[in-house]
Amino acid sequence: MPRIEMSRTDLLGLAGIPQESEDGLAALLASLKAEKAGAEGDILKIELKDTNRPDLWCVEGIARGIRCLLGGREDHLSRLPAPSAAVEVDPAVREVRPWIAAFAARGPSLSPMVLDALIASQEKLASSFGRNRKSAAIGFYRLGDIRFPVRYSAVPPDTVFHPLGEPGEMPLHEVLDRTEAGRKYAGLLAGKRLWPFLSDAGGAPLSFPPVLNSEDTGRLQPGDCEIFCEVTGTDWSTVHLTSVILACNLEDRGFGIEPVEIRYPAGSPGGERVATPAAFSDRLEAGFDLIERITGSPPDPASIPGALSRMDYASWSVGPASVDAVLAPYRHDGMHPVDLVEDLAIAAGFSSFEPLLPAEYTLGASAPEEDRLDAIRAILVGLGCEELLLPVLQARESAGSAPPGPIPILNPMTAEYSAVRNSLVPGLLRAEAASAHAAYPHRLFEAGEVLGAEGGSLLTRMTVAVCVFGNDAQFGDAHAILGVLAGYRGVELALQPHPDERFIAGRCASVRLGGRLCGVIGELHPGLLDSMGISRPGSAFEVDAEGL
Amino acid sequence: MEAAELHPLERALLSYLASKGRAGEADILSGSGLPDEGSYRRASQWVLSRGLAREAGRSVESTVSLGPLGREALERGGTPELMLLSAVRSGRADFSELQAGGSFDPSRWGSALGALVKAGAVSRDGNSLRAAGSGRTVFHELWDRVYEPLSRGETVELSTLPEGVGDLVLSRSPRRGKGRAEFIVTESVRLVLEITGEGLAALGAAGGEAVGRLTQEMLADGSWRGRDFRRYSFDMPPPRIPCGRLHPYRIFLDTVRRKFISMGFKEMRGSIAETEFWNNDALYMPQFHPARDIHDVYFLDTQDAAGWPDPATLRRVASTHEDGWETGSRGWEYPYDRARALTAVLRSQGTALSARCLGSGPSIPGRYFGIARCFRYDQVDATHLPDFFQMEGIVIGETIDFRHLLGLLRLFAVEIAGVDEYEYLPAYFPFTEPSVELMVKHPTLGWIELGGAGLFRPEVTEPLGVTAPVIAWGLGLDRLAMLAMKLSDIRDLMTSDLSRLRRMTVLPDRVLGGARNA
Repeated sequence: MPRIEMSRTDLLGLAGIPQESEDGLAALLASLKAEKAGAEGDILKIELKDTNRPDLWCVEGIARGIRCLLGGREDHLSRLPAPSAAVEVDPAVREVRPWIAAFAARGPSLSPMVLDALIASQEKLASSFGRNRKSAAIGFYRLGDIRFPVRYSAVPPDTVFHPLGEPGEMPLHEVLDRTEAGRKYAGLLAGKRLWPFLSDAGGAPLSFPPVLNSEDTGRLQPGDCEIFCEVTGTDWSTVHLTSVILACNLEDRGFGIEPVEIRYPAGSPGGERVATPAAFSDRLEAGFDLIERITGSPPDPASIPGALSRMDYASWSVGPASVDAVLAPYRHDGMHPVDLVEDLAIAAGFSSFEPLLPAEYTLGASAPEEDRLDAIRAILVGLGCEELLLPVLQARESAGSAPPGPIPILNPMTAEYSAVRNSLVPGLLRAEAASAHAAYPHRLFEAGEVLGAEGGSLLTRMTVAVCVFGNDAQFGDAHAILGVLAGYRGVELALQPHPDERFIAGRCASVRLGGRLCGVIGELHPGLLDSMGISRPGSAFEVDAEGL
Repeated sequence: MEAAELHPLERALLSYLASKGRAGEADILSGSGLPDEGSYRRASQWVLSRGLAREAGRSVESTVSLGPLGREALERGGTPELMLLSAVRSGRADFSELQAGGSFDPSRWGSALGALVKAGAVSRDGNSLRAAGSGRTVFHELWDRVYEPLSRGETVELSTLPEGVGDLVLSRSPRRGKGRAEFIVTESVRLVLEITGEGLAALGAAGGEAVGRLTQEMLADGSWRGRDFRRYSFDMPPPRIPCGRLHPYRIFLDTVRRKFISMGFKEMRGSIAETEFWNNDALYMPQFHPARDIHDVYFLDTQDAAGWPDPATLRRVASTHEDGWETGSRGWEYPYDRARALTAVLRSQGTALSARCLGSGPSIPGRYFGIARCFRYDQVDATHLPDFFQMEGIVIGETIDFRHLLGLLRLFAVEIAGVDEYEYLPAYFPFTEPSVELMVKHPTLGWIELGGAGLFRPEVTEPLGVTAPVIAWGLGLDRLAMLAMKLSDIRDLMTSDLSRLRRMTVLPDRVLGGARNA
């Protein structure tokens, strides 16, 4: 879940809420699927639940949501002038980072607070929504320094440029080696022959996306009031949605947005010429029958416009049996009419619905394998065994695993949890090793899931393992318990000599229950005990619960 | 108040103490006539708790024994330090020469060198070593004072060792990882007991022979008639019985299970290894979803398959992701990778069980629940376990709607959390719409998120062949479980430590619903 920080003063100011009436903030945030996650001085931390609403991952988005909930819908990017500037796209970028959106914004001079908010949303969008700048990365520039048309091209790695914050010029490949941002994002260009590059009509470099802006034009400062913004990336809709969100944010701050024409001589999903920011204007149509089926009652058509207005829909028409609505330009999360129905329900407030219990009769039942396990566990407790509940994940080299060993994890976080157990014995041995100070006898058992493979398929099995340790522990301890268990479960027990390195040779047997091969029993090998730091002898068995 | 009578064990202990005034454990065991150490422990506990004797002091004795590395050194006839030192003193100085010629365990070469340098016995010059003097070092002392006596079967007490040797022993007896320890230091507390005035009085008043234990013979021959029975005192702790026990966390989970069964839910079971298909795709989580990458989900390093979907289901789910299929959705609009769908992962959400249940012809109407082990790529700490249980389920019915979803959550608030103050908040889950989060005000924990629910999206249900509305729900029970078990560190839920486990209580009946009236 995305978590963002913002200035409380900025939020309340943008949302138009007086400082003293902040009490209702939690409820308003809840309607935006957001909640306060902490506060420190003027900094407010907010957690967003909806991973599909990047427009809300910034102070401008949260404030806009609150304004609309309180006062109804707003116009966004509605009367944009025709593009007066352009970006020429070199077809070679298709191979490395194909899409770009851009616009200019002119408005009030940037205060430090507004500039901070702008940079915070730039970073949040690029890292989370833009998938660490892969799908989308953002650059801001001082508009006055740029001569149009801007050129978005793919250049060789030895192209020279002065990166932001560095003392001087260097070739692009050195930017990747020598700067922090370069090392962080080098992976996005791995294996590419030509790298993306933005320069203006005079040939002045603007940036080396998605890594760094240029020192000359790419540094906004408080007091600036003319901005050029571009978004590049590998995913068409991420690039465009990101640029629309940024444009709406600046518009909310009083900036006028001037679109830029993107020229793709080799074509794009939007054609050869695309004016950006380009709104999606997603349309959702929900029949009243669907609304009734979901909410339990037919909608009151008169209430729909108010609800959609509070949820900041761009437009709507309510017909005799359905509602047809267009989402705000900064949203691209409407996939199915049910999404519209949820917005109606949120606008109405969940507390306006009467909670009902499902009335239809259903029969409760436990899973048969759990019933069996319960019966086994009850017998073992009666025999004085103490149950353990241990992690399924364990170290790949865990001593005591059954052959052929536990199933390894491809991307373990730590060696301690790098495989999935195929036997309960390693866990019980670890428990014994950690419990030498607990009064004896130790009759340890676990009944639970292990993962094995059979005939090319992974198989989760339920097994039962018992380990008995003590000064005088011997094979008979485990044997006695298994005997009672088999007897009480009414299955015939038969042992046959069996080689298993975990046990002393000649004191290990395979276990047949009701004629079926189900597991192993034996006296634990001193070498195994020693390697685990276990100081007392012990015996153990592990059988498939299904055999009992 | 009637003077409490004395148990024979107490009488024996007090008599001995009366004769000596005060005595330590070893003396009592040898001189008091108590039959064994267990009897001594019980008797001393009783007399202390009754104020008949008091603790006049206690001494901690630490005895030294050899760990695996120590035993290895004994077998080799010298510690790595001694061997290395003697090699250096005999003139070999070069690292490679020393490593090649050493008769000791090469894996301990580095630590031995470090110890010698630290003790000032050798000095290091680039890649060669020089002996600093030829006298006896602390390592010689260690051998003579610890290894030699232990090899003869004598007891070595830490307190009797010279300071340098004692420090060395302590630094080489780790509390954890005894498998790589040179020494193991065992501490035992010895009490010194002293009889009190009450003790002397009780001993004096005890006098004649009362019947201690009623025996079978006394019943048979009637000799119990006319005899006095010794009166027991009831202020002593009960004896400890070694006994079997179910695991406290499982007792808690079993209680929850029974509650769900009683509410008409049927239990689902599934595999801990899943295909990405059932873990995510069937739940309409796009393959590029951030919660699906290698920093969130564990992938299995195996060629074995984790249960493939049937081809028709795979086809429907694939086209739902791509363009919405026939669900009325626009879909996620990306090329769906069928090969990836079959990748084996560890189940990361219990909802995978619900997806499988939907795909295998569930009863309609139907209510299902599952307590599923799940796995997430998280650092293990006081709030994260390497694997954890998720409580998940579904409710299906032709007449189910949003109001029933709210009703179900209310049921959980009352019946599971035992609260009547709760709140519904808008939520987001990739597979449900609308989605609701249930906040409850718990008397101890305050406002907590108890769970969430939503109506499965048509993009989830329809490709799996279900057209009836389905409520999907999930509950977070860890905090309630920890409360029921009085734990503050979640790792204790799955502890390996038996004595810790034996100290745990679990009171699910006081924490789970129903407790509110208690």
